[in-house]
Amino acid sequence: MYGIGILKGLWVTLVHFVETFTEDFRWIGKKRYYSEEGVAARRSKDAKGIFTVQYPEEKLPVPEEFRFIPFLVYEVDEEGNKHDRCTSCGICAKVCPPQCIWIVRTEDPVTKRPVPEPVDFFIDVDICMNCGYCAEYCPFDAIKMDHDYELASYDRHAEHIYNKEKLSKPVEYYASIRPANYTREEAIKAAEEAKKAEAAAAKAAAAAATAQASGGEQAAS
Amino acid sequence: MTEKTVTPTVNSAGYDVPPELRQSVAITTLDKIWNMGRRYSVWPMMFGLACCAIEMICTAASRYDLARFGMEVMRPSPRQSDLMIVSGTVTKKMIPQIVRLYNQMPEPKYVMAMGACASGGGPFKEGYNVVSGVDQYIPVDVYVPGCPPTPQALLHGLMKLQEKIDRESITKVRWYQKDEIPAIPVPILGPDIIDPRDNAAIREMASRKAAPAAPAAQPETAEAPAA
Ligand code: SF4
Ligand code: SF4
Ligand code: SF4
Repeated sequence: MYGIGILKGLWVTLVHFVETFTEDFRWIGKKRYYSEEGVAARRSKDAKGIFTVQYPEEKLPVPEEFRFIPFLVYEVDEEGNKHDRCTSCGICAKVCPPQCIWIVRTEDPVTKRPVPEPVDFFIDVDICMNCGYCAEYCPFDAIKMDHDYELASYDRHAEHIYNKEKLSKPVEYYASIRPANYTREEAIKAAEEAKKAEAAAAKAAAAAATAQASGGEQAAS
Repeated sequence: MTEKTVTPTVNSAGYDVPPELRQSVAITTLDKIWNMGRRYSVWPMMFGLACCAIEMICTAASRYDLARFGMEVMRPSPRQSDLMIVSGTVTKKMIPQIVRLYNQMPEPKYVMAMGACASGGGPFKEGYNVVSGVDQYIPVDVYVPGCPPTPQALLHGLMKLQEKIDRESITKVRWYQKDEIPAIPVPILGPDIIDPRDNAAIREMASRKAAPAAPAAQPETAEAPAA
């Protein structure tokens, strides 16, 4: 018979519609909307009835590896000065497939040697394809992918070419959005530091030993 | 009885309403009513150009549900739509059609550049066949970065558009002015795309190139087709 498919489809819709209200009864006393558990229930595999995420008020949690526009990590030292991790080496600008990173380097006016921290750092977020290569290749863990996706604006050239000020975010922010990555990187760094310290200690010990040995020889001769 | 206030966005025309009348009287401006009607009935045109369109489809589906914003009616005809979501890579072959569709949309019309490709060419910005930014041809109201923007990012862009509509005034918007709005000349597809608006500049450049060697170059160019 013709039309059975349509009726079946309408039946599914009707079941969803009714289930929305039966779910409301089951959630009496609990917050079904605008709460974390509500969102978690609606996105689970046995969600019934309505499963819309009411976007501006509630947001789907993003996974840790979610990547949007990159940001620059800075650290604050004891005196409260900001230090970019970036050394303006330019590797990110080189690997960026659509070439949307510009780095302004500078040199010290007195010594004429290049200053590691960039004067300015631009990313055209309307070109960036969120590939994450820059974060992958940066040898100093200075550029990382952000989770913030609410970036729409009315003017491309005035607002969507991010400068260093707009891109810089503290290392605590990075630790908060990507805790697993952060701890892993810190562990690697700490291990490297320890290795270096060990090597330095061994070298110093060896130097001391040779000095002692040569000193002993001198004394003997 | 508890004091119930009318939505402040509607009742804020700058007039003081006495407290005893607050529940029955709302003062507003024509602009606000007008814009409210418009912002909750933005109908997008139904077309997608590339991968970003997948996210747009997802935004319209029930997980994010554009119907909450009054935008669920995707119109397949430019005559019935208010918003053009340029969702994806705009190739040189496609831009004449996009400009034509834009011209066919009745005012008020808005354009949203969704994703890196539509806003600035994105990964293909130096490609031989891609227009680096649809804003080189048609005026864009909202730019949504991302590749692709997630459905929530697109919704944020749509909300930005609603905010923009809110700020409009019927006495100032360009479609209620006396002067006619000229249609945007449709680009011509050739070996490379030609924007008719550049014709004067192209002609000038060509004549400048031809000018110094004009007498000498004349026979050469005449011979070229024969050879
Ligand atoms: S962000 Fe990293 S890769 Fe890019 S210039 Fe700075 S240190 Fe080099
Ligand atoms: S995420 Fe990819 S496209 Fe964006 S700045 Fe980094 S390398 Fe370039
Ligand atoms: S911006 Fe990215 S996802 Fe969107 S159309 Fe271009 S390549 Fe595809």
